[in-house]
Amino acid sequence: MLRFLVRRVSGAMVILLIISAVTFWLFYAIPRDPAMMSCGKNCTPENLEQIRKNLGIDESILMQYWHWLVGVFAGRDYAGYGYCDAPCLGYSFANREPVFGTIMDRLPLTLSLAFGAAVVFLIIGVGAGMLAALKQGKFLDKFASSVSLLGSSLQIYFVGYIAMFFLVSELGVLSQPSYTPLTENPAAWMSGLLLPWLVLAIIFTANYTRMTRSQMVEQLSEDYVRTARAKGLSKRNVFFRFAWRGAMGPIVTLFGIDLGVLIGGAIITETTFSLQGIGRLAIQSVNQSDLPMLLGVTVLAAGAIVLFNIVVDAVYALIDPRIRLA
Amino acid sequence: MAFSRRNFLIATGVVAASSSVLTACGGEDKGGSAKNDAPKVSGTKTVDIPVGTKADSTGPAPEVKGAVKGGTVYSLDQFDMDHMDPGQIYVSTEGAITVPIMRGLTGYKIDDKGATTLVGDAATDAGTMKDGGKTWSFTVKEGLKWEDGSEVTMDDVRHTFERLYASFITEGPIYVQSWLEGADKYEGPYDDKHLDSIEIDGRTITFRLNEARGDFNYTVAMRGYSLVPKKHDTKEKYDKRPFSCGPYKIESRSVGKSLTYVRNEHWDPKTDPIRNAYPDKFHFQFGFQQLAATDRFIADSGNDKYAMAIFNEVAPERIAQVLTNAELKKRVLTQVDTVTYYWPINTTRITDLKVRQAINYAWPHQQLQTIKGGASVSEIATTIMSPVTPGYEQFDLYGTTKKPGGDPAKAKALLKEAGKVGQKLVIAYQQSDNSVKQAVAIKNALEEAGFKVVNKQVDKSTFYTQIGDIENGYDLFAAGWSPDWPNGYSVFFPCWHGKNIGDGRNNYAQLNDTGVNKAIDAASKIADPEEAKKAWGAIDRQIMELAPVVPDYHSIRNWMYGSKIGNVVYDAGNTCIALCKLYAMK
Repeated sequence: MLRFLVRRVSGAMVILLIISAVTFWLFYAIPRDPAMMSCGKNCTPENLEQIRKNLGIDESILMQYWHWLVGVFAGRDYAGYGYCDAPCLGYSFANREPVFGTIMDRLPLTLSLAFGAAVVFLIIGVGAGMLAALKQGKFLDKFASSVSLLGSSLQIYFVGYIAMFFLVSELGVLSQPSYTPLTENPAAWMSGLLLPWLVLAIIFTANYTRMTRSQMVEQLSEDYVRTARAKGLSKRNVFFRFAWRGAMGPIVTLFGIDLGVLIGGAIITETTFSLQGIGRLAIQSVNQSDLPMLLGVTVLAAGAIVLFNIVVDAVYALIDPRIRLA
Repeated sequence: MAFSRRNFLIATGVVAASSSVLTACGGEDKGGSAKNDAPKVSGTKTVDIPVGTKADSTGPAPEVKGAVKGGTVYSLDQFDMDHMDPGQIYVSTEGAITVPIMRGLTGYKIDDKGATTLVGDAATDAGTMKDGGKTWSFTVKEGLKWEDGSEVTMDDVRHTFERLYASFITEGPIYVQSWLEGADKYEGPYDDKHLDSIEIDGRTITFRLNEARGDFNYTVAMRGYSLVPKKHDTKEKYDKRPFSCGPYKIESRSVGKSLTYVRNEHWDPKTDPIRNAYPDKFHFQFGFQQLAATDRFIADSGNDKYAMAIFNEVAPERIAQVLTNAELKKRVLTQVDTVTYYWPINTTRITDLKVRQAINYAWPHQQLQTIKGGASVSEIATTIMSPVTPGYEQFDLYGTTKKPGGDPAKAKALLKEAGKVGQKLVIAYQQSDNSVKQAVAIKNALEEAGFKVVNKQVDKSTFYTQIGDIENGYDLFAAGWSPDWPNGYSVFFPCWHGKNIGDGRNNYAQLNDTGVNKAIDAASKIADPEEAKKAWGAIDRQIMELAPVVPDYHSIRNWMYGSKIGNVVYDAGNTCIALCKLYAMK
């Protein structure tokens, strides 16, 4: 297992390095001048030059990338703005804050959003899928399949606004979406995020219901399941111990990707509910041409997906003994 | 002020000329519908901001009837501030949001009837002028304290102005810096060098200027000249955490997310004629899109009842709903703005007056207004000055009022006279949904009049760099300007004087007309305000006769707020809601 992890983490580092280099080059190669945004109303060529120097964008792209890389591991001094401690992912042109600090400030919300929603959509989605598989061809199966089809065709910006209008503005049964740190006030944390969790769950649940149902149906028709039943194991035992474990592989893969994407930034969800997480940070960075921040968010998003892929691979082995980590 | 950078859509100028608050609220029956009687820019009275007396400059600020102390006021805003170092603050919204924590030598006092006066803020009065405006003195009040309880010293006051020459100050106003005598090679106070043209004598600071500036006391009311403590000046880092000498101080800040002010216990209301400071706390929340914020104001639930907005106005998608509902309309503050949006014509490329006049005649004002959201948020402009700026003179040289959709026949006739039918026009506009729609309308209208139009989309972040380049290759481009303080100088000198032609300067039309330059120079020297106003009004007409610009529209702003916020009035000095006049109802 350790060998597997070392090898996968090393591979992940190389992937992140390539992603950061390509992203860096793409962002810095486009004809935009972030110094102009900071130069104000009475901008003079001297001021502009000073800002470029302060932001470290007066060097070649290669040197800028090298300094960025050095900053990630050793920290970096930004003339005129101060020292950026390692891991320094750059200095935001727009916020004038270290990128890493800003990302860390926004990450708890996104993690809360992602994991909270994940709990809801996993429980409902997998549960409904299993029920549908168990009651194959019956009303419950048809109902769950229809609802999941409806759910998967909906969009967050539509469901979100409708839900806010009815549940918050009209009926007042839920609070306006907001974020309070879990450590500060668990009740406020939960009530502020409940609506985004539910809306995200509506969208994501559908995939899990459908995936779980189809996998369970497939597994239940497998020979080893039939053999287990023939050997006298109870229906419940066969369902959970054999079929369910066999069906989990693709669901874990899907979950790993979804969680990685959510942590990388639920842009539409955070925008719909005016929440200040990684997704909003990404969109703000695009609007403000804040390239260091965008680079930081991109590396984080890529890192989240790579990390969860490793986790998924490791979890595979635990779920399915047929898979060996080599 | 140029509408560049991040806030170009929402940031209007730094100083308004009007104290005429056109409230669209009140007066209607409960519930039901209300007439959408949007205020008319053209009907707005121009009201000056006069200079107050020493008595006006004495605290405390006039009490607001019915106001109560305590509670928290929230904001639902889209953007955080770019800067909190006063030397870096230029946009009006940043000026407005820092009124509770920053004080300058002068400031704007709002009385119980909504009228605005220029008074001494940290100074005992609005200043004393000598040598026809070349020397200005301000005596600083006793008893002013920073948030740590230390006295505001004269060293602090001198330091405030000297630090503006430091290399890290790149974005604030540069008026005072360029007017102070002998400052050409001065590089700031950090190597213990002082600027000789700033003199301290006891509690009095004197500025010696290289030109007569009768309006210097208005200039120093800009947030860019608010006081900074020498002892706590952290240079570049000051932008993150300024030190307060106002009624509030910063409790916490998360850039792009939130900002909280709590009371500064060392502030003495007796020294402050401007700020009432009723709420215990201000909690500004950022990241709310205009539409999302408007919907929350409409819903008016929970803490949103105590919310207002500095940046976010009513979203165009909801403007009709809000202004036609009597209940909602009660919670809207409507104000004609000082900004005029216009399209400068590059006079070095379009040299023929008749061609420039033809562009003016052909302009599709009405179509553009519709695209922007209609008459509730704008009124068609025919002048460079806004109707609320002192000196405004109403005129319409190109028949816009009669034919707001444009007069292609007249334009074509002018082109024929000039022998320029088929004249090519390269139009630059910023990439945005609205701009694309507007560009199509403009192209259609101008081509109908006989022009051949080439539209060029320009990246938002480089737009002002590109049009500010004197070799830009464009004939026509969108821009806008709002005066930095209420007079014609800050409208016409930066944008229409030949001295301001150059890369990165604001004379985008590159108009260098001897007559106009002379007229601006002469008007700048007029000490009598009434005479000066007449002169600026005449200059507006003089420039429009040369047709170096197509005035597009004057802006009307609508801010919505929660039902539990009291005394939402307009701060004419900062062209925003007056934060220090608000109170949270019990």
